[in-house]
Order: sequence, then structure tokens, then C-alpha cells
Amino acid sequence: MSTGFTSPFGGNSNPFVRMETAGMQRVAEEDENDMITSPTTPSFGRTPASHNNGGGLFRSPFGADGASDTHMTGVGRPHLDPAGYPAQYNFGRRTSVSAESLKPPTGETYDNWTPPVHPKTAEQLQRLKEAMSGNFLFSHLDDEQTAQVLGALVEKPIPSKDIKVITQGDTGDFFYVVEKGSFDIYVSPTGKVEPGLDGAGRKVSTIGAGGSFGELALMYNAPRAATVISAEPNCTLWALDRMTFRRILMESTFARRRMYEGFLEEVPLLSSLTPYERSKIADALKSEKFPTGHTIIREGDPGDSFYLLVDGEAVALRNGDETPVKHYKKGDFFGELALLNDAPRAASVVSTTEVKVVSLGKSAFQRLLGPVESIMRRTKYVGVKTGVEEMDPLQIA
Amino acid sequence: MAATVAHSQQPLSPGGATSNGGGSSGGLHPLMAAAAANAAKQQQQQSQQRIDARNQEPFDLTSKKLCLADFQRVRTLGTGTFARVCLVRPSHGTEADRSKVYALKILRKTEVIKLKQIDHVRHERQILSDVSGHPFITSFQASFSDHEFLYIVLDYIPGGELFTYLRKYRRFDEDMAKFYAAEIVLVLEYLHEHQGGIAYRDMKPENLLLDADGHIKLVDFGFAKRLGNNQNDHPEETYTLCGTPEYLAPEVIHNKGHTTAVDWWALGILIYEFLTGYPPFWHSNPIEIYKQIVEKPVLFPQDPPISPEAKDIIRQFCTVDRSRRLGNISGGAARVKAHPFFRGVDWDAVMARKYKGPILPPVRYPGDAQCFDIYPEDDERREEYTDDMAERYDEYFKDF
Ligand SMILES: Nc1ncnc2c1ncn2[C@@H]1O[C@H](COP(=O)(O)OP(=O)(O)O)[C@@H](O)[C@H]1O
Ligand SMILES: [Mg+2]
Repeated sequence: MSTGFTSPFGGNSNPFVRMETAGMQRVAEEDENDMITSPTTPSFGRTPASHNNGGGLFRSPFGADGASDTHMTGVGRPHLDPAGYPAQYNFGRRTSVSAESLKPPTGETYDNWTPPVHPKTAEQLQRLKEAMSGNFLFSHLDDEQTAQVLGALVEKPIPSKDIKVITQGDTGDFFYVVEKGSFDIYVSPTGKVEPGLDGAGRKVSTIGAGGSFGELALMYNAPRAATVISAEPNCTLWALDRMTFRRILMESTFARRRMYEGFLEEVPLLSSLTPYERSKIADALKSEKFPTGHTIIREGDPGDSFYLLVDGEAVALRNGDETPVKHYKKGDFFGELALLNDAPRAASVVSTTEVKVVSLGKSAFQRLLGPVESIMRRTKYVGVKTGVEEMDPLQIA
Repeated sequence: MAATVAHSQQPLSPGGATSNGGGSSGGLHPLMAAAAANAAKQQQQQSQQRIDARNQEPFDLTSKKLCLADFQRVRTLGTGTFARVCLVRPSHGTEADRSKVYALKILRKTEVIKLKQIDHVRHERQILSDVSGHPFITSFQASFSDHEFLYIVLDYIPGGELFTYLRKYRRFDEDMAKFYAAEIVLVLEYLHEHQGGIAYRDMKPENLLLDADGHIKLVDFGFAKRLGNNQNDHPEETYTLCGTPEYLAPEVIHNKGHTTAVDWWALGILIYEFLTGYPPFWHSNPIEIYKQIVEKPVLFPQDPPISPEAKDIIRQFCTVDRSRRLGNISGGAARVKAHPFFRGVDWDAVMARKYKGPILPPVRYPGDAQCFDIYPEDDERREEYTDDMAERYDEYFKDF
């Protein structure tokens, strides 16, 4: 490396170099038995090239030379400045986790999988919904996904007391919701159930009706962290397995994404997008539902979002006019000029049925793909203005 | 063959390693043990003769007949959930050949099948060979298999895991963090943007090694997947949950379908861990980690003080909304490189390895393994790979 080469990484951050200073000697001695910082290792005397620049002259872009001084006194010594340092954190190497692979359905091999449906009363559904509502794995699901997950829960009657539902250390595939009865939770310090009377370990809690357990199994196959035993006779559990759960999420997400991408393909303004770009847009669409008669966009308002009608029907109305200028049905789009400019909306769009729309703001679009103008310039929309005006009744002056 | 992995410091038995493998003596009846011992002794003598003969044979990594007997195990370098990686030397060939060292990643077929990782190991082998040669990625040399195991031969990276240094120094200052982050940005740019959309999916200090000069080498392509952004084809999103709990992106947890954006999320977590010594979301119960990842913002401690630029880049990577996540938004990696956190970085110089690494690993000679932790050499899991299984699954492993 040439002497003229300045490093933005700071010249003094090599911990081995720091060790040479008298102040660090004590630390180095404490590390005597450690293979890595041992001052006797041959690399110890090596210096980073940036030393060529001379210590004082070399400044990192963030003035980190000073900062690294304070840093270095703390380095490698967990007992120094304990404030804010999580003593409970397990500092060991972390192993990877992986669920079985889920393959999205491809064109030809689409196997028309439908989630299992186990009948339930309206009352049961309500209770299960409540029991699962607080759980972060379910709280983000849309209505359709929630309905499918609820339908897939299967009843597991537990007739008597002392039945082991899950065993600590075993791998698990099921998540459970308690409908009736109660269950005791035991944890053994060894991570698995030991032989003998108290082999399951210490009782740590009890879960009653409306409670649930075993949710990690919905993510991947991991050893159970506790043993769960029925605490009374005639308990009822509802169970959901990982494959079903993940498949429901995947299929619905996948189907929805493909549907959006299909709709987006029909938008002339976006016709020059690559499939990759379209999928990024599909990924960023925000979905909303509106009742009949709702004004989705209002004439005269500044336009900032573009909409796709996913379900239901709507009309475009202009101030004073009785008859709609346009009807929209599933797959139609409106307001796309908002991606180009902030001109006021030239008409209102009002739902005539319950509708579901997905929308994308101009700023989100630009964040993902850059300026719309440059995308349109790619193909036929060189004369942006005229081309676009023909496209959208909202812009008819 | 199980026994071969348990051997240490000895030449691997060439016979046991190849065609007639599978003879695990795990559950042998005591009466038969003596006979087995005798047979083993005989076999050992034969093996010795064969080794002597082979010493003259050239060592050839490109040979179709490459097998375990071509290597001699020095010691284990690391173990993960699915594999054991050993430092090995060629067991025969010229003097120069035999002074070479490699890292041999060993995967047990039964484990691969049981843990449903068949697709993953196939991708690993394929992608490793595709991306081999990048300055910050471990080079792939060869792969082979025998009755019970799959093997990947890699260049040996002697500096050890960045993890070891991070835990040892407790945390890195911003200059160090910036140095490593910069090299990783170039790796991600390469994988995502120049290799047809490869998502790496397991970024963490345990999978980042230092070479003898202190530069990054990314290892473990066990979860890497080519998502493809073929212009005429539908870009694929992938749904398989994989990674390391503390580093999982929210969309992976929610099974929304994920893309290369998960690597930028993980880089945010990584920079945070560099600067503070621990990841932003942690708990002894993994479910609590996941809950935090999807619900909580990244919070920074008072101590150590973290610069506004560093906080900003971490927050921008760890943005739940992928349409706002740095690296994934328009401009891709170029936007990352232009972030103030990297102000002053000459990216060509990074690629050319012109910056000196802040940690110089104490590597005394090419095969020195002192930078790696010691692991038990014994492999306790010994489930037999039956002929039935071979019949059913071997076709999936034929690329090895
Ligand atoms: N090429 C290599 N040179 C040196 N050590 C390596 C090499 N490849 C892997 N290792 C060590 O082995 C460990 C496990 O390897 P890895 O490929 O990550 O396996 P796993 O998939 O089980 O996590 C790594 O964390 C690293 O310490
Ligand atoms: Mg690994």
C-alpha cells in the first residue's frame, strides 16, 4: 500500500497494535493464556500500513480516533463498564434454524391445495379467535388467512388428568389452544425430561381456557422448551400443525401477489416495468376495505396515491354530473397519474359496493423504482403529457 | 463410515471411506467385537499398504474419484447444526501437494434428510461453485460423496471466526465495524445484483471468517438461494423459514415470502452487534425474539455512544417495511455505499483489499488452526444410512 493511501477506517483500530502501549499492558497480561491476543504471537509486532501516515496526522472521517481510545479500555473485559450490557445474554455461538422447504406453486404443478377445514360452532370460532388474537404470529393475518387458520384447527379431546401433551426436548409440530380445562407447565433444567418421578422438572405455570402453548412449532422444528400435562379430566385442545399454518400463509400471499402483478401488468403507465420491478411494487401495495358509498378519492384533492380495485365496484363522478364518467370493476385501476404529478384529482371515485382496494403512494413508488418519469421514458411515454391524459378520465379537464 | 469422522490425527482409512462404507460398529454384539477388531487390524495393515502406494499417486482435486481417503484430518474447525468442518491435508501426492491445507465440510446424509435440508445442500454446493473466486467469499474447490456423507472442499481460511474476535473484544469501534461492513456490502452487492439475485440468508459473525490478512471471507452458503431476477421470468420469492433467530427479518417470521432484502436487514443487526457487542433483539426464549423483531423498534444503549450515522444506517436496514429498507430500495447497494456511515470510503480500494484489516489474526503458518475454538472430534449421532434410503435419496445427491 502506498504511503499516500488514507484509510477511512481509522489507523489505530488494530487491537494488536494498541497492546503495545504501556497502558494496555495490564490487559495483555490478563490475556496471557489466550491464543488470540498473546503478545508472543508473531503477528503481534506487525503494524497496519496506515501507520505510515504517522499517528497524529491520521484522522478517520468520524473522529473515531478519540472514541477508539475509550473503546479500547473496555475491549475484551466484560467486567468493565457493566452499564447497559446484558449480563443475561448468551454469548455463545448461535446455530441456524430452518423449517422444511415450502415451494410456491408453479404454473404447471399447481396442485390446488386447499387448507383442511374442521367444523366449529360460531361460539367456538369466536373463542378461538380471541385466544389467538394476542399472538404476534396471527395478529397480522388478513381476514381470509385468519378464517383459514381457524378452520384448520383440529379438536383434541384430552379425557383425563396427567396426560402429557408435549414433552420437553422432543421436537414439535403442533401449536395448541386450550378451549376447556387446564394444563400444567413443567421445565426441567437439563432441557429434557429425565427418568424418575420428578423427571419433568419444576412446575412453572398453569394454562387455562383461552390460553395457548407451543407456538414455536409453527415456525420450525425445534425441541420443546417445556413439558405440558393436563391438570384435570375432560380438557379440550385445538391443534394446528406447522405445515398447514405455513402453507396457508404462503398460498394466500402467493396468490395475492400474483393477482396484483397481473393487475399491474394491465396499467399502461407501468407497462415498461420489468417483472422484477412489478413484483417489488406488488410487494409494497397497501390494502384497504371500504363500505358502499365511500369516497375513495375526492375531486380537487391533491393526488398522492394510485389504486387498484381488488374486489367490488366503483364509479368516477365529476362535480355537478349525475351520471358516472366511468365504471370500475375488479382489476381496474384509477388515480395512477398521482405517480407522475400532484395535480388535483379530476374526479371523485366512489364505491358502489363493498370494495377492497390496494394502493401505492408516489413516494413509495419512487423509493422503490426511482422517478416514474425515467421509467416511462424507457418506452412509448416519451411525450408523457399527451400519452397520459388519454389514459385516465380523472384527468380529462 | 461414522467411525471415520470420529478418528482424529490419523490418516483416514481409505477403504472405510469409499464403496464399502456403512459398516458402523455402533451396536455390535460383544461376542462379535473381537472378530471385528481382528478384521479391523487386518484392514488397517492393508490400508497402510494402500496409503504407501497412494503416496506416490498425484493429488488431484479435479479427479472424478476424489474421496475421503485423499485427505488426512488435522482437526475440527467448527460445527453447526448440519455440518462439521475439518482442517485437512492431502494424504498423498508430491511434497508440495501434501503441504497444502483445505477446509472439508462434512454433512451426514441421514441428518440432511431428517432435517429436510436436501434442497438446501444442493443449493449450497451449486451456489458456492458459482460465486467462488470473489475476494470476500470462501473459494470452492471440489465436492464428493460416499455412502453416508456429502463433502465440500473449500480453501482453508486461517484467521478464525469474526465471532471469536467480537466476543473477545466485546465490541468493535466504528472504524472496525465500518471496515467489515464495507466488505460485506460488496459481497451482498455481488450476490444480489451481479449473480442473478442470490439471497444469502444466514449473515452473522459466526459465518464471517478472517483470512490471514484480516479481510472478510463469507462461509456457509447452506441457506443461500438463487431467487433469479431473470427479466422475462417471474422473480421468485421464497418462503422457507431459515437463518439464525436473532438475525431473522420480520418478513421471514411472518412467512410473507422473502427476497434478498433479508440480507440487508441482517446487516443492520450485524452492525448493531459489532458496535454494542450484542444483537438488538435477544431473549432466552426464541419466540420472544421473534415478537420483538416484528413489534419493536431498534433501541440503542447510552453506552457505548453510537454515532448518528451508525444509528441511521442500522435503522434504515432494520426497517420492517421492505419498500423503505436501505439496500432494497431503488439504487440498491449503490445507495448503501453512499450512506454517510461510509463517508470517505473508497469502494474500489475496498474491493482491491487496499485497506488493512483492523485485526491481524495470529496465523503463524498456512495450516495454523490456533484461531479456531476446539471442538469435540467425536460425532455422536450415528444413524445408519440404509440401502433403502440410498435408493430413495441418492439421486438428489448426485451433483456432489
Ligand atoms: N473454509 C473454511 N475455513 C476455515 N473454517 C471454516 C471454513 N468453512 C467453515 N469453517 C468453520 O466451520 C464453521 C461451520 O461451518 P459452516 O459452513 O458455517 O457450517 P454450518 O452450516 O453447520 O453452520 C464455521 O462457522 C467456521 O468456523
Ligand atoms: Mg454456519
